[in-house]
Amino acid sequence: MLGLIKTWRELEAKGIMGINRRNADYVLKYNKRSLYPLVDDKILTKERAIAAGINVPQMYGIIETEKGISQLHKIIEGHKDFVIKPAQGAGGDGIIVIADRFEGRYKTVSGKLMSQDEIEHQVSNILTGLYSLGGARDRALIEYRVTPDPIFKSISYEGVPDIRIIVLMGYPIMAMLRLPTRQSGGKANLHQGAIGVGVDLATGITLKGTWLNDKISKHPDTENPVDGVQLPHWQNFMELAASCYELCGLGYIGVDMVLDQELGPLILELNARPGLNIQIANNAGLTHRAHAIEEHLQQLKLTGTQESPQQRIALVQSLFDTNHEL
Amino acid sequence: MRALNLHLKILITLLVGLGAIVTGYQMFVLNIPLTEHEVDNLWNIDAKIEFQAKNNEPVKLQMFAPPSEQNHVILNESFISNNYGVSINKLDNNRRITWSARRASGKQTLYYRLVASSRYNVEEGKAKGPVYRESIAVAGVEKIAAEALLASIRQNSADVETFVTEAIKKVNSENDDNAKLLLKGDNSSAKKAEVVELVLSIAHVPIQRMHTIRLESSSNQEPELWLRSFNGKKWLYFNPQTGEQGMPKDRLVWWFGDEPAFNLEGGLNPQISFSINKNEINAMRLAQLSSDASSHFLDYSLYALPFAEQQNYHIMLMIPVGVLIILILRNIGGLQTLGTFTPVLIALAFRETQLIFGIVLFTLITTLGLSLRSYLEHLKLQMLPRLSVVLTFVVILFACISLFSHKLGLERGLSVTLFPMVILTMTIERLSITWEERGGNNAFKVAIGTLFAASLAYFLMSSAQLSYFIFTFPGTLLIMTGFMLAMGRYRGYRLTELFRFKAFLKD
Repeated sequence: MLGLIKTWRELEAKGIMGINRRNADYVLKYNKRSLYPLVDDKILTKERAIAAGINVPQMYGIIETEKGISQLHKIIEGHKDFVIKPAQGAGGDGIIVIADRFEGRYKTVSGKLMSQDEIEHQVSNILTGLYSLGGARDRALIEYRVTPDPIFKSISYEGVPDIRIIVLMGYPIMAMLRLPTRQSGGKANLHQGAIGVGVDLATGITLKGTWLNDKISKHPDTENPVDGVQLPHWQNFMELAASCYELCGLGYIGVDMVLDQELGPLILELNARPGLNIQIANNAGLTHRAHAIEEHLQQLKLTGTQESPQQRIALVQSLFDTNHEL
Repeated sequence: MRALNLHLKILITLLVGLGAIVTGYQMFVLNIPLTEHEVDNLWNIDAKIEFQAKNNEPVKLQMFAPPSEQNHVILNESFISNNYGVSINKLDNNRRITWSARRASGKQTLYYRLVASSRYNVEEGKAKGPVYRESIAVAGVEKIAAEALLASIRQNSADVETFVTEAIKKVNSENDDNAKLLLKGDNSSAKKAEVVELVLSIAHVPIQRMHTIRLESSSNQEPELWLRSFNGKKWLYFNPQTGEQGMPKDRLVWWFGDEPAFNLEGGLNPQISFSINKNEINAMRLAQLSSDASSHFLDYSLYALPFAEQQNYHIMLMIPVGVLIILILRNIGGLQTLGTFTPVLIALAFRETQLIFGIVLFTLITTLGLSLRSYLEHLKLQMLPRLSVVLTFVVILFACISLFSHKLGLERGLSVTLFPMVILTMTIERLSITWEERGGNNAFKVAIGTLFAASLAYFLMSSAQLSYFIFTFPGTLLIMTGFMLAMGRYRGYRLTELFRFKAFLKD
C-alpha cells in the first residue's frame, strides 16, 4: 500500500497523465462531441484536409452504394497500387493494400492474389458495416498507397511506420514514432505490439522507445537501436500536426502521419482520444507540458493575441527541448 | 471551468446534504431500525382476576387498564371472559374496563391480555397538571410531626423536584422520629406514599399516585407504586421507597390515582395477578403495526407499495449500488470490463442462477458462443443476421442445458431460462469484437474483469442487509449520486496505471 502511494507521488511529480485526467481535463474540456464525426470518418477528415491544402494520401475515389461497386474498376484504372479502407474502420481492420497487378488479378502486399470479384466482395462487406464500430453502414475509400521512406528499413518490420503527435489547442506537445513489429503483424498499433519511440520535438531525433509498457532501446526484430535516428522533414511534420487544430477544431488530438518516399509527410488520420503510452516512449509526462501550454494560452488570452502554427511550433520547440529538459 | 466546478460542488453538497438529512431524520427522529433483523421486545401482559360469584347475583367488575398515551405503545388487547359483557371507557387519565354479567355462580376467572412494546418516538406533548392543593386536615401529634418534617425538608430543597425527593428521603430515613411516628411502623409503599402526600399537602404541593408494571418476564407481579408531581412544566416521577427520580424505561403505567386496581360488586374473595412474558418481534414489522409517526412516514415510503412491487424495488434499488461498484472498479481501480453496465446486468442474472453456477454457465455459453461467432466470421455475414444467429444459438444452448440438467436431476439448470440471454448474446458479440481488435489476450483479460466485477456487484447487490437499508432509507441514493458526480471529475491515477507506468520509475 505504501509502495503504491509512493509510486503515485512519483508519477505525479513527473507529470504523468492518467486516463482520468486525460478524459476530465483534456478530452472532455477541449473536444466538442459534435466535431467527433470529423475525425471518426476518414473521408470527412480527408475532404477537410484537401480543402485546407494539407498533404494527405491522394484519394482515388469513394464507393457509397452497392451499385457504386461497379465503378470500382474505373476508379482504380491507371493505378498500379492502391489501398481500400473502410471510412469508419478501427484498428486497421478491413483494409486491403494492393501492391501490384498480375495477369488480370491483384497482388496484395503479402503476395496473395485477389480476383476482381473478391475485391468487390470485400468492398461490399465494408459497405454493410462489417468493419465499422457498432456495425453501421459505412463507405469505402480508395486511396494512394504510401511507400514508407527507406530510412525506416533498419528499425521496422513490414508495414508502414507512422508518426503520432499530440496536439493541444494547436501546440504539438509530444511526438512518437510507431514501428510495426512481427508481433503487431505489420500494424503500427501499440496495443497490438508495435513499438513506440519518442521523438524530440525540437530536432526530430528519435529517443528511446516503449514496447508493451516497457522501455526498450532496440527493435526486437531487426535488433537495431531505435534512438538517435534523425527523422527527415521534421519541421514539415510539426507544421502538419499544428495545422490540424484549425482543420478539425478539436483541442486535444493525436495526429497520425506517415513519411512517403516521394510525397514526404502526409496526414493519415486524427484521433480524439490519443493513448497515453507516448509518455513512456518519451520518458516524460504529458501533464507538465499541457499545463505549460495552458498557462501560455491564458497569457495570450489576456493580451488578446492568437498565434500562427509557425509561432506555436517555435514556442513548443523552445519549451520542450529534450536536450535542455534533461 | 471554475464556474463549472463551483456548480458541481454545490450540486454535490445539495444532494449529499439532502440525502443525509432525510436518512438522519428517518434514523434518529423516526427511529426506523437500521437492520431488518433488529428486534424489539414485545410484552404480553395478562391480568387475571379470580373471584367467587355470589349465587346467581348480577356481577359487575371494574378494572383499570393502561392508558394509551405513554412511553409504550399498545399493539393489541383482548378479553377472555365467557358470558360477560365488556366495555372500556376513559376516565381522566385512566381507562377502565367494565365486565358485567346478569348472573354468575361459582369460581369466575376473567382475563385481560395486553400486547405492548416500547414506542419508537415519544412525542412530548404539552403536559398539564395541578400545581396547588389544599392541605390534608391533620391534628395533634401527627400535625406537629408533619410540620417538623416539613421544616427540615424546606431547608434542604430548592424546587418541586428536590422538595419531593427530600420528602421521600426523610420519610424513608430510619432514624427520623417524626417520620417513624407518622408511619406507625408500617413500611409499605402505600403507607409511605400516604405520609409523603400528607407532608407535601401541608406545603400545598400536589402529588399523584401511579401504579406501574415492571416489564420483565414474571408471573404474579404486584403493581409497583410510584408518585408523580407536576412542576409547572412537566411531570416528575418518584419512587416512594427509594426516592429515585425519573421513571425507568421498563415500567408500564397501569393506572393513576388512589383507587385500587379493580372493584367488584356481587363477588367474594377477588384476587388479581399479573403475568408478563417477552416475545421478540421484527422491528420493522412493529413500526408498521404501531400507529405512530414512523408508521405515517412508512405510508409514504416504498413500504406503502403492494408487496410484489416492493420485491421489484428491492432489486431495482440495488442497481445503483452495482453501478457504483463498477464505477469505482473502473475509474479508480482501472479494471477493464466489457462495456460499462454489462457487469451489472450479469450480476442481476447471477441472482437467478446463484454465483458459482452462474459463472460456470456464463463461461460455458460465452465460450461456445464465441466459437460459433468466429465460425460465422468466415461466412462474412452482416451484423444483424449474425447477431440473430448467435441469439438463436444461445437459446438452443439454454434449452439443451435445461434438458440435460433436468435429466440429470439438477434443478438448478432450470433457472437458466430466466438468465437474460440478450445480455449473453451482447456479451458474446462485444467480446468477439474486442478479440478481433485487441487480440485474444486482451479479450480474455476483459472477460475475467467483467466476471470479477459482476461477482463483486452480485455480492453487494444480493446482500439482504444492504437491500433493506437502501429500500428503507432511499435518501442514501442521493448520497450515492453525489459521490458519482464527484467521480465524474476525478483526475487521479487508476490503480492499474500505477503498474502500467512503473517503467518511469526504473531509473
